Amino acid sequence: MSKQTKRRHSMSEWALIGAVVLYAAVLLVGPLVSILWGALSEGAAPFVREITSPNALNAIKLTLLLSVGATVLNTVFGVCIAWVLVRDDFKGRQLINGLVDLPFAVSPVIAGLMLILLFGRDGWFTWVTDSLGIKMVFAWPGMLLATAFVSLPFVTREVMPVLAQIGTEQENAAYTMGASSWQAFWHVTLPSIRWGLLYGVSLTLARAIGEFGAVLVVSGGVSGLTETSTLFIFRSLDDRNYVGAYSMALVLALISFTILMLMEFFKNRTGEGR
Amino acid sequence: MSIVLEKIVKRYGRQLIVDRVSLEVADGEFFVLLGASGSGKSTILRMIAGLAQPDGGRILLHGRDVTGLPPQQRDTGMVFQNYSIFHHMSVSENIEFGLKIRKKPRAERRAKVEQLLDLVGLAGLGSRLPAQLSGGQQQRVAVARALAYEPNVLLLDEPFGALDVKIRTQLRRSLKEIQKKLGVTAILVTHDQEEAFELADRIGILERGRLLEVGEGEELYARPKSSFVATFLGAGTVLVGSASSGKARFNTLSLPIPEGIPREDGARVQLLIRPEHVVLSREEPPGGAAVLGRGTVLEQTFNGASRRATLRMPHMPATRQIAPPIPFGEEGFLVDAVVPTDEPLTGREVWVSLRSWHILGPPVPRLMVYDLGSGSTEPLRLAKQLVEKLEATATVLAVADGPGAAEALRERHKRRQDESDLTGAELRIRYGEAADQIISEQAETPYEMVILSPSQKRFAITDPRADGMGGLTGKVLQQSRAPVLVVKGEGSRFSKILICTAAGEPGKSDVRVGGRLARRLRASVTLLYVNAREEAPGPLARVHLERAAATLRSLDVEGDIRYRQAETASAGILAEADEGAFDLIVVGGHGPGSRKLFKLSDVTKQVVAGSDCPVLVVPSDVK
Repeated sequence: MSKQTKRRHSMSEWALIGAVVLYAAVLLVGPLVSILWGALSEGAAPFVREITSPNALNAIKLTLLLSVGATVLNTVFGVCIAWVLVRDDFKGRQLINGLVDLPFAVSPVIAGLMLILLFGRDGWFTWVTDSLGIKMVFAWPGMLLATAFVSLPFVTREVMPVLAQIGTEQENAAYTMGASSWQAFWHVTLPSIRWGLLYGVSLTLARAIGEFGAVLVVSGGVSGLTETSTLFIFRSLDDRNYVGAYSMALVLALISFTILMLMEFFKNRTGEGR
Repeated sequence: MSIVLEKIVKRYGRQLIVDRVSLEVADGEFFVLLGASGSGKSTILRMIAGLAQPDGGRILLHGRDVTGLPPQQRDTGMVFQNYSIFHHMSVSENIEFGLKIRKKPRAERRAKVEQLLDLVGLAGLGSRLPAQLSGGQQQRVAVARALAYEPNVLLLDEPFGALDVKIRTQLRRSLKEIQKKLGVTAILVTHDQEEAFELADRIGILERGRLLEVGEGEELYARPKSSFVATFLGAGTVLVGSASSGKARFNTLSLPIPEGIPREDGARVQLLIRPEHVVLSREEPPGGAAVLGRGTVLEQTFNGASRRATLRMPHMPATRQIAPPIPFGEEGFLVDAVVPTDEPLTGREVWVSLRSWHILGPPVPRLMVYDLGSGSTEPLRLAKQLVEKLEATATVLAVADGPGAAEALRERHKRRQDESDLTGAELRIRYGEAADQIISEQAETPYEMVILSPSQKRFAITDPRADGMGGLTGKVLQQSRAPVLVVKGEGSRFSKILICTAAGEPGKSDVRVGGRLARRLRASVTLLYVNAREEAPGPLARVHLERAAATLRSLDVEGDIRYRQAETASAGILAEADEGAFDLIVVGGHGPGSRKLFKLSDVTKQVVAGSDCPVLVVPSDVK
């Protein structure tokens, strides 16, 4: 009797595992394999040639620059936003809390358009950037802003629950021991939220690397100048340069994959995390 | 003095959490603040640490005024209930933290950490992470961490609350040892009496934000000054009797009155009986023993070393039990006794005598009078009468729009108080809407009665939504926790009291409160039952009336029962009050649950509106 229930249990278990594997294969592994296949279908030489072309190298460089820049921005401000939303109670807290998710809700293309409206020709704030001598639209500052916008919520959303959970008592303990607010944050709060923060940072980075729509609208996609890796792929496909497109796609996938794996690795090594 | 608190006050919103607490803790003393949850004890500790700011008063640490300083500059060591250990740091790093902040050299830090690990009994565990320690060990780390930088004072906020009993006892012992060894001044906050008795050099009892009594544990237990402390610390029965020719009399029992307690004839005195001081015997105790009488064993529980028995004693004239409260309808009173297990409790009737006892001064009821500052001074006159007859203290509450009007108001009230001879009363001025302020004042200081006068003498009950009375009276009656005396008519002497046991809805608190009042005022009482139809009351009503009469008898108040037939309950009550020339009507009000859901009952409203003599409205949750 018990054996039978156990068998039935294990059968349903297997069915579930099978479903998960199939789902992952279709959605995750399949595309990866096809990219790999596409990039190397004509051998390694064309792959190397395409990926080392000046335009491709420039695109990779720009992508890395933008995503690291956006990640730094969003880490600093994301933690600040999370702190304010969790620790302070003020009028309009709910509103700001809702607004944080706006980049998820708004299409990146629309986000790009908004930036054009603000900083493009005759934009609302163009006089500010002009007087400062900064070119926003069709240049990297605008692209950085666009990338930062679309990847804003990750850090905040990952840090907020951790911050709420740890409460203020440890900070209070640090205060009574003589620690200043900054010391308490650096030595006590930050280490407590580090896993949430790291997870948020890696999601931000991965999202920033893959950004396409907002950057396309803001950058104009001038090859060799304002063309990121994703724009490079898009243009290559347009030019029927499939090897080029697949090669760049492979490189991007590898970068993102490495980031996520690195984080898993650190998490497991210290035996902590969530 | 290590720690001096001068009249510190803390409010959260409108709630007064800490009410003018003053305290001095000597160097090297272990002081324990003992109170129930919500008594404000943790708040006091947090204000000393600088984690909360007082709204008034001063805090001095070693003679230095630290009232406005941030926690970093106060040099206190604090241990929290939930340990608050830094989880990402090793045990050593945790202990080192305060020293690192103070930029002490590495060698000194190391030496101190080793020394402290040794002191708290964690030697060799310095490299462990907190997650690898038990709760008790974590709290030891927290103590070591708070002591590492040799703070001025050690503050402990229920440090053993989250631990199981066995570890708690262990930790308590080592904490006391450490504290004595280092000679550091400590304040510990707890709700656990055992903990307080074991650790404290002195104990302070907190109730609702007020520091009631301070003293050594044994002293507080054996000779409390107030009945609250008497019943809060340990178990016991408190009886109220009266003094006569220099002795405290509780029926036949007559005991000497200690120094400092009023002893003139008729003064009220309280007797505290601890269970361990009760002696049970089968034979009548010899002459000279303090005999309470013959009691019946109601129930007994076996605790291993001892046996605890609850005895019901017959009613003793001129004596009333105030704690623990007796069930409604009981005539006698209940006494707990602790007897050795080998003493069999055969035979359910035993002689009860006292090995030891403690006499307290009279309980002092507090009255609040809301005075408009103009018009009739009848409320003040009635308050004066009650203050005299109940040996109560009165607070006159005046409400002003803003601080600007306060001075003129103070002047006017002084004059009115003098006119009505209510000179001993304290005047309190609050700002804002009158009804709100009356309720707030009650929330901050518990009063036994609120006295107010409606602006009109008789009001129409035409608009059902307007409560048929002034907005103020309605609101206060709706929300008050204490009985409210609505002043109507003039010249009441409180000599004939009509207690209305409203048909259908038996009130208990109105009988109790009305009876107690009658006893103190030496007034006659009539219990009134109003029936809509011309028939005898049903069995439920009869049982209730019998129990009400028994409750009155237990208070030595003779109550006659009247039945009356009337169309509505309120009409019956008003007619009876009129014909019988009563000068106080007692009616039931609301319980705490129903207060928000329903409006005042129509009967209560109509009686208050239509009466020509004062009406006492008693909320049903008043004990």
